[in-house]
Amino acid sequence: MEIFLDSIKNSIYKFSRNKVSIIGFFMVAMVIIVAIFAPLLAPYPKAAGAFIDFSNASKPPSRAHFFGTDVVGRDILSRVMFAFRGALIMGLGVIAAIVPFGVLVGLFAGYYYGTWIDTVVMRITDIFVTLPALLLALAVASFGRPSLFNSMMAVAFAWWPFYARLTYSMASSVRNETFVKAAQTIGAHKAHIIFKEILPNCLAPIFTKMALEIGWVILVGATLSFVGLGEQPPTAALGTMVSDGAQYLPAQWWISLFPALAICFMILAFNLLGDGVKSMLSTEVL
Amino acid sequence: MYTKRLGRVGVVLVVFLISALLLTFWSSSTSTSKTGAYTAQPTDYTIHTTEDWPTYIDPAVGNDFSDSIALLNLYDSLVFPTVQGTVKPSLAVKWGLSKNGLVYTFTLRHGVKFHNGDELTGEDVAFSMERLLTIKQGFAYLFSPYVKNAKATGKYTVVITLKKSFGPFISALPRLYILNKRTVMAHIVKPGTYGAFGDYATKWLLTHDAGSGPYTVQKYNVISDLLAAKFAKYWGGWSPNAPNFFEESASSQPASEYAAFATRDLDITDELLPLETYQSMAKLTGATVVTFLNGHNLNIMLHTKKPPTDDVHFRKALAYVFDYNAVISSIYPGSVQSKGPVPATLLGFDPNLFHYHTNLQKAKAELAQSKYANKLDQYPVTLSWCAEAPAEEKVALLFQANAAEIGIKVQITKKPFGSMEADATNIKTTPNASIVFVAPDYPEAGAMLSVRYSSASAGSWEQCEWLQNSAIDKMINDALATADQAARLKKYYAIQAKIVDLCPTIWVMDQAEKRAYQSAYVDWPVGDAIKAGKTAVGSSVMGYNLYAHDMKVYPQKRAELLSGS
Repeated sequence: MEIFLDSIKNSIYKFSRNKVSIIGFFMVAMVIIVAIFAPLLAPYPKAAGAFIDFSNASKPPSRAHFFGTDVVGRDILSRVMFAFRGALIMGLGVIAAIVPFGVLVGLFAGYYYGTWIDTVVMRITDIFVTLPALLLALAVASFGRPSLFNSMMAVAFAWWPFYARLTYSMASSVRNETFVKAAQTIGAHKAHIIFKEILPNCLAPIFTKMALEIGWVILVGATLSFVGLGEQPPTAALGTMVSDGAQYLPAQWWISLFPALAICFMILAFNLLGDGVKSMLSTEVL
Repeated sequence: MYTKRLGRVGVVLVVFLISALLLTFWSSSTSTSKTGAYTAQPTDYTIHTTEDWPTYIDPAVGNDFSDSIALLNLYDSLVFPTVQGTVKPSLAVKWGLSKNGLVYTFTLRHGVKFHNGDELTGEDVAFSMERLLTIKQGFAYLFSPYVKNAKATGKYTVVITLKKSFGPFISALPRLYILNKRTVMAHIVKPGTYGAFGDYATKWLLTHDAGSGPYTVQKYNVISDLLAAKFAKYWGGWSPNAPNFFEESASSQPASEYAAFATRDLDITDELLPLETYQSMAKLTGATVVTFLNGHNLNIMLHTKKPPTDDVHFRKALAYVFDYNAVISSIYPGSVQSKGPVPATLLGFDPNLFHYHTNLQKAKAELAQSKYANKLDQYPVTLSWCAEAPAEEKVALLFQANAAEIGIKVQITKKPFGSMEADATNIKTTPNASIVFVAPDYPEAGAMLSVRYSSASAGSWEQCEWLQNSAIDKMINDALATADQAARLKKYYAIQAKIVDLCPTIWVMDQAEKRAYQSAYVDWPVGDAIKAGKTAVGSSVMGYNLYAHDMKVYPQKRAELLSGS
């Protein structure tokens, strides 16, 4: 227990040593809080729904509308706040869905390294890896009716192989370690060896990858929205807002700019946080 | 030894260069003398416009906005529509009608040349009509129910015999574009769909023309643009400053069109841009934005065979809840609310027709009578709008917000026009609501009524309602078969009343078309007339406001504008 507590203290210390990671942590916390409490925090919550106000259309940033309004008079700041919800669901949801699957595939293939199981599973994985993730996601998403759920499924479909590959490379190496051999010698069950001996020793790089990739998943989700394959109107989605606003450049620059900056902000936040997680889980001796 | 070899190489090089020069000279001189196709000069100017895409330049295939613009510039027809809604002689200098109203005899203009130099004769006119009727695409639907056959009775005479009387036949004739029979026959590929005529040269005519119009295809990129060169031997003659080339390209993002317009690479924009873009363009030096009623209307077509819009009360609820004023004041300023299916500028429009207006109470009352009133959550309304017309998104969002006021959910999808066309071909894939601009194919109410509501046009982009109502079909056929104009107009009135009662469409507005053009160096008859305050009406016939032959360009003025002098 004491060792565990020491380990946590050590990790927190490592994380806190990285100042930009702290900034990232607060940025992510801010996004989450804004997303959860958007109906309370947004200055014009109606703007996130089926709402039109042509008398306020295309207003530049002002005190009344910090980010301006779009071409049908909706407050852009309010819509950005609500759009954080979809972006977070995309980032966290996809990672939460694909990691268990990808890790399982990689673990089994790694444990059965050199057998036909390894060959079949990893060649299938390789086929997925060779296809550009964004293109694959676009292709899959275009099959169904555009929605957040379908775009999440599409991204998940394209992303899991990277976790399978990472876990496979770790597991196929760990399986030859002495403690694994020892467990096998004493007749431990395969499930015990895979989940209790091999898996814990693969987790650090997996967690690091997860933390670093949430931002990228959000970006791919925004790209799907940009081309009309994500959330549909009137639901606010950052990619859709950038795409819609792009039609009115350069005169109504604010319609695209602020949602685009919001995407940058989220990706930066998760990347900074990811860097902190990476240093926290590193084996650097302090 | 080395000097000798060098000498031989030099001789070969000189011979090669002389041969190349001779070949170049020969090819350029023959292309001009044989066909009359214009040869590019350094001072040439290409008038550049944009429109929705794809564009089909085969007269037996094309029938939408961009097709119409291309066809009218590449081909001639027997008559030409006027801004006043009538027609004037074109290839036909005169015509007569038999006493029974079924046989039209046309006398053709002498000396009209096709782009390859052949003379246009009655044989070509008869061939063009037969080809259109056989292929059954494009504007064939205007003639198929009525035309029995077309025969050349002399070199300059052609007789078209009808199966039954068709009152607006002459008004519809601008849509019969005349092809060179010899050219078409030379490019037929066998075997094909059309028996002895193989593929009827449809493959070749996808990228080439066989016309006699003022311009001839120079280069055609199916994906994005058409470049046509002036036909020097055009029978209609040329004014000194007429554009030497005419380019029609696919509409792009408003920001891209703005950039092209600002750098003077685009001379006349399409009519599909959002208001904000036109406002930005109007601020540019030497640019003018014109607005004119063009006989087109904007429709929200409601699928009458798909739940929940298969219920007439549900449709009426949507018609009553829609905010028409918001559209004409904030999205398409200058337009007017439509009164039924026929634009007010067309002959046969009924000014006393009942029309739906925004009334929340009536909307609720109609919805209460609908069989879906208590199941609204189970029946969302699917709606598509055209990606090439960005302003339509505002209409879609307005419709969604208005419908939400009475608890109706609307699922909006942005689709390229090509996808909307494809969806419209199948009763299952057509959405509940489609936002579509429609223009008449000839300047009379019958054009709109038949193309929009007869069963024959169901499954086309012009009728996403799938009305398929036999009573309406009968009434339309009867009206179109009525030769007496006054009687025909009365019948049009009755059809309009019947259709309005069925409410298959939300008739949003009669469009005030907006286009920005480079008035500093382009003379565009429609734009110049409006700019001078002479008239606020363009041609009611789809595409005919972009007739490049009547335009003039002044490249020197453009250069001055670009240099800032």
